[in-house]
Amino acid sequence: MENMAVKMQGITKAFNGVKANDHVDFYLEKGSIHGLLGENGAGKTTLMNILYGLYQQDEGTIMINGKIEDISSPVKAISLGIGMVHQHFMLARPLTVVENVMLGRKSRRGILLDTKQTAQELAAVSDKYKMGVDPYSKIWQLSVGEQQRVEILTAIYMGAQTLILDEPTAVLTPQETELFFDTLREMREDGKSIILITHKLEEIVEIVDEVTVLRDGKMIGTKKMDPSVTKGELTNMMVGRDVLFNFPEITKQPGEVKLSFRNICVRNDKGLPALKDFSLDIRESEVVGLAGVDGNGQKELCEVLTGLRKADSGEMTLGGEPVINKEPIFFINKKVSYIPEDRHTTGLALDWSLKRNLIFKSIGKAPYSRNGLMQSKCINAYWEKAKDEYQIKAICGDEKARSLSGGNQQKIILAREIDVEPEVLIADQPTRGLDVGAAEYVRNKIIEARNNSAAVLVVSADLEEILQISDRIAVIYDGELMGILPRGADTYEIGELMMGKREEVAVSGK
Amino acid sequence: MESKLKSTVKEVLGTVIMLALALLVGAVLVVISGNSPMEAYSTMLRGAFGSAQKICELFVELIPILLMAFGISVAFRAQLWNIGATGQFTIGAIAAAAVALYIPVPSGIAIPLSMIAAVVAAAFWAALAGWLKNRFNANEVITTLMLNYIANCFLLYLVNGPMQDPETDLSQSALVPVGMMLTRLFGDYRLHSGIFIMLIVTVIMFFFWKTNFGYRINLIGQGEKVATYAGVNVKRTTVMTMMLSGALIGLAGWIQIFGIQYRILSGIAGSYGDIATIVALLGALNPYGIIAAGVFFAALRCGGNSMQRMTDVPFSVVDVIEGLIIIFVIAKTIVNNKTLGLRDKFRRKQGGKAHVE
Repeated sequence: MENMAVKMQGITKAFNGVKANDHVDFYLEKGSIHGLLGENGAGKTTLMNILYGLYQQDEGTIMINGKIEDISSPVKAISLGIGMVHQHFMLARPLTVVENVMLGRKSRRGILLDTKQTAQELAAVSDKYKMGVDPYSKIWQLSVGEQQRVEILTAIYMGAQTLILDEPTAVLTPQETELFFDTLREMREDGKSIILITHKLEEIVEIVDEVTVLRDGKMIGTKKMDPSVTKGELTNMMVGRDVLFNFPEITKQPGEVKLSFRNICVRNDKGLPALKDFSLDIRESEVVGLAGVDGNGQKELCEVLTGLRKADSGEMTLGGEPVINKEPIFFINKKVSYIPEDRHTTGLALDWSLKRNLIFKSIGKAPYSRNGLMQSKCINAYWEKAKDEYQIKAICGDEKARSLSGGNQQKIILAREIDVEPEVLIADQPTRGLDVGAAEYVRNKIIEARNNSAAVLVVSADLEEILQISDRIAVIYDGELMGILPRGADTYEIGELMMGKREEVAVSGK
Repeated sequence: MESKLKSTVKEVLGTVIMLALALLVGAVLVVISGNSPMEAYSTMLRGAFGSAQKICELFVELIPILLMAFGISVAFRAQLWNIGATGQFTIGAIAAAAVALYIPVPSGIAIPLSMIAAVVAAAFWAALAGWLKNRFNANEVITTLMLNYIANCFLLYLVNGPMQDPETDLSQSALVPVGMMLTRLFGDYRLHSGIFIMLIVTVIMFFFWKTNFGYRINLIGQGEKVATYAGVNVKRTTVMTMMLSGALIGLAGWIQIFGIQYRILSGIAGSYGDIATIVALLGALNPYGIIAAGVFFAALRCGGNSMQRMTDVPFSVVDVIEGLIIIFVIAKTIVNNKTLGLRDKFRRKQGGKAHVE
């Protein structure tokens, strides 16, 4: 019993009658790394938010170090030695690392700041776990991986013995992940206990001592990790069935160049260069996967390709016709479909009905519009058809898009963008935030579009996904094309390019 | 469909409760002023609906309120906060009067000509704010509001200067030709043929939100990003939306000149601009709601006049009730937004990765 850092028993938490956690038991041994595995919406984050005091459980007890505790707030959780690093970092970007740590804390020097002392202590902790964080660097200058280390460092500095990490590797390159795992091992050596929330099986196998699987808010089981535990077994526990990454067969080989752009230069919203002389060709019946860490110009590229952002310079042809900087409607009419990264502000009108979201690119176009009037009958009929074909789970077409789950929202976008039989399909993070089943469905639809002769560009931060569906893999770093690799390229090689190390690898393809 | 019905019922119920609350507070004020609220409100009711003449007066009020509220609702649906109804009304009225007074053509031509002039002038006055927004990213709340002052000063200059009636010292123009005045429908009652224009516009508004243009306006209201993504030319649609909004308001100005005032005079827009804005919001920017809210406000004003005349209760009680309704409308919007925001937050937390930036 004394060996348990955390023991949660019979935890139940309901939101509006929906049980996000249903009698979940969870324990964490001291000095171990415990994986919390499950699909999105399985209740992982809810359970950990309860442990961190953000929510209160409806039923059940929590024991910390063998003592029953009522964790009423994060402040209480921190005082009990529990720290949490969220998916979205809570850092003030213009400030330095040490200033961020000092925010909201009382200075030990009265009205004067104890910056120097804190910085020294931070540096000491950083050295201890080989995190390499400079207390005086400003947050905005740090890479995502470094920012994450700052978050962890802060939690430890505040005295965390138990650390909850919510999907920590989602934002990291393979190399950064390795480094991150080293830090975790280092901390485990030091007697800290770690909970790793994830839905990536590879991570569970690689680093975790024990794993607890949640599905639909219920605990499916806890397993000690040893070589006899297979990924298949875990998937089965997680999804409740075997997910076979069964893609439609590739029925067509890539054809003529459909979309071609040369030396594209464009600036981001802040007016800084986002793309520098970016050139790429995409052929008919071809999926080009664009790998890269988020924020390296992918979004701007997609926007240029669909007319949403004006390029400063460069050329672009669509089927041989020059199309640079045309209006968005031009691209829509040319059947260039776009699945945007941001479903909530770009891909959907959240407060519009589902059926209107399905046709909003066809305002003023037959058959949805006749004589200047939108045809409700026709729109309803299309909704019924699309709902069945794309397996959209919704009560009715008049429901607001806001009320759907992420997966179903994405299906609305897919239906709209793929049902027009696109000539070009630009998909920016098409499966982000979706559970395994929905992601599989989306990828299948993308391959289908490819087999129907579309030229496809898939942007993804998920290397697995890129590797699964791409005919060629382009890698972007800091707005530049780092190289183009053939299907089946080595993950490590892609990772190097993603970090901007061009000279170290032979660039093949192009 | 059911959920739609349910939310409509909920919305209407909320509005009714809100109005009841405002009237209740008004009643308290009446009591404090030493009068009977029952008497005050029944006088008000009789003053609004008590006789054929009263009902005619109700419609006289309703014509400009409804037209302007429809105009405002067009802009508001696109989240273009056109606060400039007063100015657009004024400019429309000036244009109408100028044509009537200075272009010597038979009234058969002058009537449509002045109508076109009023509508076009007001449309461009409103479009100016749209253009400023597109070109300089100027907030339309500020620009439309400022354009109100400019329109008002322009009006004051005209009625005290070049357009002043030479017969008097008053700040007003000469009367428009008798042949251009709108026919009164029932003897001496002020109700005029402008009501048919209001009815036509009302019918059109029911269809308007189903047109391509209506869809585009609505989509812009959902967010500039998603509208651009959907292929809507946001800048052009913004200007066109403002033009339509201003056109309807200018039409109200035209009707008011030839139906009621027969001339321009200082402060011609009265408080119609403010009332129409509340009516549009209270009616949730939807034609049914706007009609209901418009009738309510027209009744409140007509009845309020009666109340002031027949009892010791001052008209300012009506002003207070109007003010309270404004506050409630705004509070309701804020409460709705807050609950929406909370709901999203909750979803995000519960869904783990359901929302990723």
